[in-house]
Amino acid sequence: MPEPETPIFSLADTMAAPRILLVEDDGPLRTLTARALRQSGFTVLTAATGAEMWVTLREGPVSLVILDIMLPGTSGLELFRRLRRENDVPVIFVSARGSEEDRVLGLELGADDYLAKPFSTRELAARVSAVLRRGGVDPASEATNPAAPPADTVRFDGWSVSMARRELHSPSGAMVDLTGAEFDLLATFLNNPQRVLGRERLIELSRTRLADSSDRSIDVLVSRLRRKLQAVGSETPIVTVRGVGYMFKAEVARA
Amino acid sequence: MNGSQSAGPYRGLKSALDGSLKLLRRFGLPERLLAVLLLAALVDFAANTIVFNRANSFELRRDDAERIAENLVLVSRALEQTPAQDRPAVAHSLSSQRFALDWSMPQSNRHGSVSLSKLRAQVIDIEPRLATADLELHLEGLPSGGNIGGSMRLSDRSLLNFRTHARSAWKLTAGRIAGLVLPTLLLVTFAWAFLRATLRPLRSLIKAAHRLGSGPPVPVLERGPDEMRELIRALNSMQERVHQSLVERTNTMIAIGHDLKTPLARMMLRIDDPAIDPAVREGLSHDLEEMRLLIGSIQAYVESGGTDIPAERIDIAIMAETLVDTAADQGADARFSGSPGVEVMARAVSIRRALANLIDNALHYAGSVSVAVRAVGDQAEILVEDEGPGIPEDRLGDALVPFFRMDTARARDTAGMGLGLPIVDRSVKLEGGTLDLRNRAGGGLAVTIRLPLAPR
Repeated sequence: MPEPETPIFSLADTMAAPRILLVEDDGPLRTLTARALRQSGFTVLTAATGAEMWVTLREGPVSLVILDIMLPGTSGLELFRRLRRENDVPVIFVSARGSEEDRVLGLELGADDYLAKPFSTRELAARVSAVLRRGGVDPASEATNPAAPPADTVRFDGWSVSMARRELHSPSGAMVDLTGAEFDLLATFLNNPQRVLGRERLIELSRTRLADSSDRSIDVLVSRLRRKLQAVGSETPIVTVRGVGYMFKAEVARA
Repeated sequence: MNGSQSAGPYRGLKSALDGSLKLLRRFGLPERLLAVLLLAALVDFAANTIVFNRANSFELRRDDAERIAENLVLVSRALEQTPAQDRPAVAHSLSSQRFALDWSMPQSNRHGSVSLSKLRAQVIDIEPRLATADLELHLEGLPSGGNIGGSMRLSDRSLLNFRTHARSAWKLTAGRIAGLVLPTLLLVTFAWAFLRATLRPLRSLIKAAHRLGSGPPVPVLERGPDEMRELIRALNSMQERVHQSLVERTNTMIAIGHDLKTPLARMMLRIDDPAIDPAVREGLSHDLEEMRLLIGSIQAYVESGGTDIPAERIDIAIMAETLVDTAADQGADARFSGSPGVEVMARAVSIRRALANLIDNALHYAGSVSVAVRAVGDQAEILVEDEGPGIPEDRLGDALVPFFRMDTARARDTAGMGLGLPIVDRSVKLEGGTLDLRNRAGGGLAVTIRLPLAPR
């Protein structure tokens, strides 16, 4: 095993190089996934069973657990329930079943994301980064205490946003689809309410998904998002500040 | 207490009625036919008996009876005094419109079908001498107007026939007509009802046969004669067998898909090995993506048959617009028209996949797509149109059959298993909606989804 032998990690270390615990029973897949994550710049610990997972977790804090829910012995879901009772570490579920029920059940139990097999290296790295960002490692986030669970539901003007599910619901309770980029833009606005944000700053804050966006496409994104947030008979919460950028003027509540 | 007492005999009657109805239902086709014929014969017999009884007790008004008696006495006397060769002419000349006569030689004796015994007694009562003359009275056949006919013997045994019109005989005539018509009418009515009752289960059978294999089996209710019940039973078990083999097929595919996922996951990670030639990696990556799509489409097809996930309120206009925007962002020629606020109750993942399939199909076959969403009455209407080759009219129905591939020639470069439209169809039906495929007048395919709007 090429794993580092250092037994204890401080939180500062965690912030610097996120430690990821990979729980996967298929040996070759475990090795391959660990290698892919390391190439993406993460520190990776591995476990083949639930028992190994507990041992590793006792050895030191981790920033994220990637958990296969079809483990031999204890089911991944049961393992996750026990993990949640003791720890608030973010969890990404991995399943070969890939059924919609699995996804919903996993997210309902409080998993931070769900990944269906097979997945590419790029997909895996993107999901892990996204969850780590939401989980409080993101400096732009208001949640500064990684031990506290990240605020999942955010409300404004009767609208509600589920950060884990990346879902937006209108005041009437209807699900309103957003593209990935639109959701990231909305999340950025929600993290910076009543603050004027320039186009440059928006691109910077929205990170990866908008990495190759131009000024113009930011304008397109904002106008799309604005259109979707324009409930019947109400005004849009996103206002244009001429010559500077945009501002999210609605009151934002986190629960 | 009272209620239960009165319910007792009623229930007894009801169960007896149910019992006999059940017995009738158990009859096969030949038994039923026989029962109808027997019933018709019985009615015929009963009607004839009634007619005969009424004729036997038929009486004329006293003056009519006296007229008949007097005429007969006078005519018989006149004829007896006439030589035999003149008798036909005399009989003819004595005839009036109301009392026709003819004379014949002894050997021929006429008898009508319906004898009038009471009337005979009445006439003999008036002229007792006629009793010795072998008087016979009957109703004439219906073609000759149903008049009263009769005969008597003269002293030399020759026969005097007569026919007279009596107004009060019409009731008897009507009775005889009814006696003839009623059994026929009954036969026709019963045969009609019987055939209809026999064929009614056949109609539901035909409907079930059309549906066969295109959904979960809906057993046809067993009813009708034995032969029909047996046919329904056979079809029901065939439905079950077809369904079972379909379920087994999808289960097998799901199992294979599952087992392929882990090795596939390994391969997808392995191709990132820097030792692999970039061109080879690109080809492999394309192949792996296609395999992933295949496995995904089987899973989607199975899931579109129903899940435990509850329906939720969805803005379907925004969902469609988001899919179009995503495609357009990737460089596709996709356009959307409609406004937000069209809300339906549906399973988000399943209905989103249905819309995505339609958009992908259009982009694949036509290179462009236009999507329009609007509320029409109490329905949401989603129209997905393209300008591609469409589907040949006679194949439109096949397009919704799972694993049926439209373009056998172009199949090679199509990622899918012929499940695209069947998935859409099943997802839409799961939400109580309808799917309509048609070729546009100017070329291209138009797919319309209609879903019930969510209650306000």
